[in-house]
Amino acid sequence: MNQSTQSIDIRLIECAKTFSDGTRALEPLTLQIEAGETVVLLGPSGCGKTTTLRIIAGLESPDPGGQVLFGQDDVTNQPIERRNVGMVFQSYALFPNMSVEQNIAYGLTVRKMANDEKARRVAEMLDMMQITELAGRRIDQLSGGQRQRVALARAIAVRPRVLLLDEPLTALDALLRERLRVEIDQLLRELGITAVYVTHDQNEAMALGDRIVVMDKGMVAQTGTPQDIYYKPSNAFVADFIGTINRLRGTANKGMLQTAGGKLPWSGPDAGDIEVLFRPEDATIVALDAAELRGHVVASYFLGDRTKVLLDGIGEQTVVVETADRRQFAKGAEIGLIIKPDALMTLE
Amino acid sequence: MIIAQITDPHIRAGGRLAYRKVDTAAGLKACVAHLNALKPMPDVVVMSGDLTDFGTLDEYAVARPILDELSMPYFVVPGNHDERGAMRQSFADHGYMPPSGFVNYAIEDYSVRLVGLDTVVADKPYGEMCRERLEWLDTCLRQEPDKPTLMFMHHPPFITGIRHMDWQNCRNNDVLGDIVARHKQVQMILCGHVHRAIEKSWAGTIASIGPSPCHAVALDLSECKNPAFTLEPPSCRLVYLNDDNCLIGHLSYIGEFGGPYPFFNADGTLID
Repeated sequence: MNQSTQSIDIRLIECAKTFSDGTRALEPLTLQIEAGETVVLLGPSGCGKTTTLRIIAGLESPDPGGQVLFGQDDVTNQPIERRNVGMVFQSYALFPNMSVEQNIAYGLTVRKMANDEKARRVAEMLDMMQITELAGRRIDQLSGGQRQRVALARAIAVRPRVLLLDEPLTALDALLRERLRVEIDQLLRELGITAVYVTHDQNEAMALGDRIVVMDKGMVAQTGTPQDIYYKPSNAFVADFIGTINRLRGTANKGMLQTAGGKLPWSGPDAGDIEVLFRPEDATIVALDAAELRGHVVASYFLGDRTKVLLDGIGEQTVVVETADRRQFAKGAEIGLIIKPDALMTLE
Repeated sequence: MIIAQITDPHIRAGGRLAYRKVDTAAGLKACVAHLNALKPMPDVVVMSGDLTDFGTLDEYAVARPILDELSMPYFVVPGNHDERGAMRQSFADHGYMPPSGFVNYAIEDYSVRLVGLDTVVADKPYGEMCRERLEWLDTCLRQEPDKPTLMFMHHPPFITGIRHMDWQNCRNNDVLGDIVARHKQVQMILCGHVHRAIEKSWAGTIASIGPSPCHAVALDLSECKNPAFTLEPPSCRLVYLNDDNCLIGHLSYIGEFGGPYPFFNADGTLID
C-alpha cells in the first residue's frame, strides 16, 4: 500500500507550553517536518519531546501565539479526532477485552465505516503486519511484540495524515526491540507517511530518523541528520547525550596539540587552552613506540565483538576506546593510541 | 451512538455472596451478556465504581474476566469499595489508566467526550473532589468547550432522600458544581453508589445515578433507621446520542419479562 500521495508536511510555529502550575514544559519551538519524513524527537525525560508530540497530536494545545499546521491546514484549534493522526504508545493502549481484529477495526468503527469496507481494510492491515493468523486472538493472549504490531496496524488502518509514535518499543526486550525497529523503519518508508517518533534511546533515533531533533530542558539542542548529530555535535549536551565521547584538553601550537597524554597532529588554529573531543571508535591501539597518546588501563570489558578499554593519564577524565583486537588488557598496563586525524572535534 | 453504564457490581472472590445474600458475579455476568446481546449494541461501556466489594486483588481477578467478555471497549473508575492501587494494577494494560495519582481521564475517540473522575477518599465511604482533582477537571473541560461531554464518577454530587446514603455522597459538591456549570458542554453525569435509578437537574446539567446489576438500595425516603437492600429486577443505564448531538438517558432491564409483542397487525391497524 502506498500512501505517499496523502503525506503532508507539519509545521510548528513558536509553540510553547506552560502548564497551569507554571511549569514551562516547552520553550517556543519552530520546527518544519517535510512530507514523508521521519523525524525523531530525542532527549532525556522532561526534555519536552512528549509535550511536542502531544501538541502535534492535539492532546495539548500550545500557549497562545503558537501554531500547528498540517500542510495548508491550520489545526491549532482542532481536537485530536479532527486532525486524523495515528498514534502508537509505549503502553499499547489496545482494548484487552477485544480481539485483534476488533482492535484494528476500532478506529474505523468510530468513523462509521461500512462493514464490508471495514473488513477489507482490517484484512489488509493484518496482512501488512503479518499477523493474519492472530486475527481472532484476544490481546491478553499476545506477546509484547505482537501487541505492538496490532497497535501499529490500528494506527495505520485509519489512513492517518500523520503517524505519531511515543516510545513504542520501550516496553519490549532488547532483541525484539531491534527486530521491530527494523520493521517500523521499513513500514514508514513503504507508507511514505510523515512520522514523528519520540524516544530517549539514541540507537533507535539513529536507526529510524531521517532527521533527529535533540531536545534538552524544553529547548532544541540540535537538529540534523543522524550523521550530523553524531559527528558534528553543536554543543556539550548533544556530544554527551549521543554515544560516548572522550574529552582532552591541550595547547595548540604550529600544527600540534600538546595534551597530558602526548602530542597529536592538529589542523586547527593555535590556541592556549582548548578542549577537543573524539569518539571511542576513532582511536586505535598501537605499539607504544608508534603512539601519539599514552595512558594506563583502568578497566576493560570484553563485549564479544570488541573490547572496551578505559584509560587514565590522557585526559582529565577517563578515556574510553574500543578495539576488535583479541588481547587481554591488564589493569595498570601502559597502552598507546593514535587518533584518526579528521576525528577530532571542537565545540563552539 | 450508545454508551452503557455498569455500576456497583460489588464482586467478591471465592464464590462468596455479598452480604451473604447476593451472587454479584452472576449479576455482572448477566449484565455483560445483556449488553452484548442488545441490538444495536452499545458502542462503549463505562464502569462507575464499586467493581469489587473489598478492593482486593483476588476480587479484581474475578471481576476483570467477567468485564472482559464485553464485546466493546470499557472504561473503569474506582468507587469507595475499590482500592485505587489494586484497581490500577489489575487494569494496568488499559491504555487510559494513569500510571499514578488519581484515576481521572478523558476519552477523545467518540462523538461524545467521556470524562472519568476518581471521587475516592481512601478508607472513607464518602467521596470528594479535592483541589487537585477539581483543577484537573476544569483544565480538561476547557480543552473541548464545544464537544458533547458525558462525565462519569462514583459518588453522586447531590442529595437523594435516601438518608443513609446521602451523608456519604460526593462532598464539596458546591465547588464541583461551579466548575460543571461553567462548562455547558457537560450534558450528563453518570454516577453510582446508591444502586438505584435517580436523576436530578444539577449545575446546569443532568446528574443521574445508575442502578446496579446486582442489588438495589431499598427505596426508603423516611428517616430510614435500618439501611437495607432489595433484589428488585436488575437494570442498567443506556445513554443514547441522537442526531442533534443530544444525550438521552434510558433504563434497560436485565432478564426475561415477556415480549416484545407487536402493537400492530400486518395491515398496520392497532391490534384489537
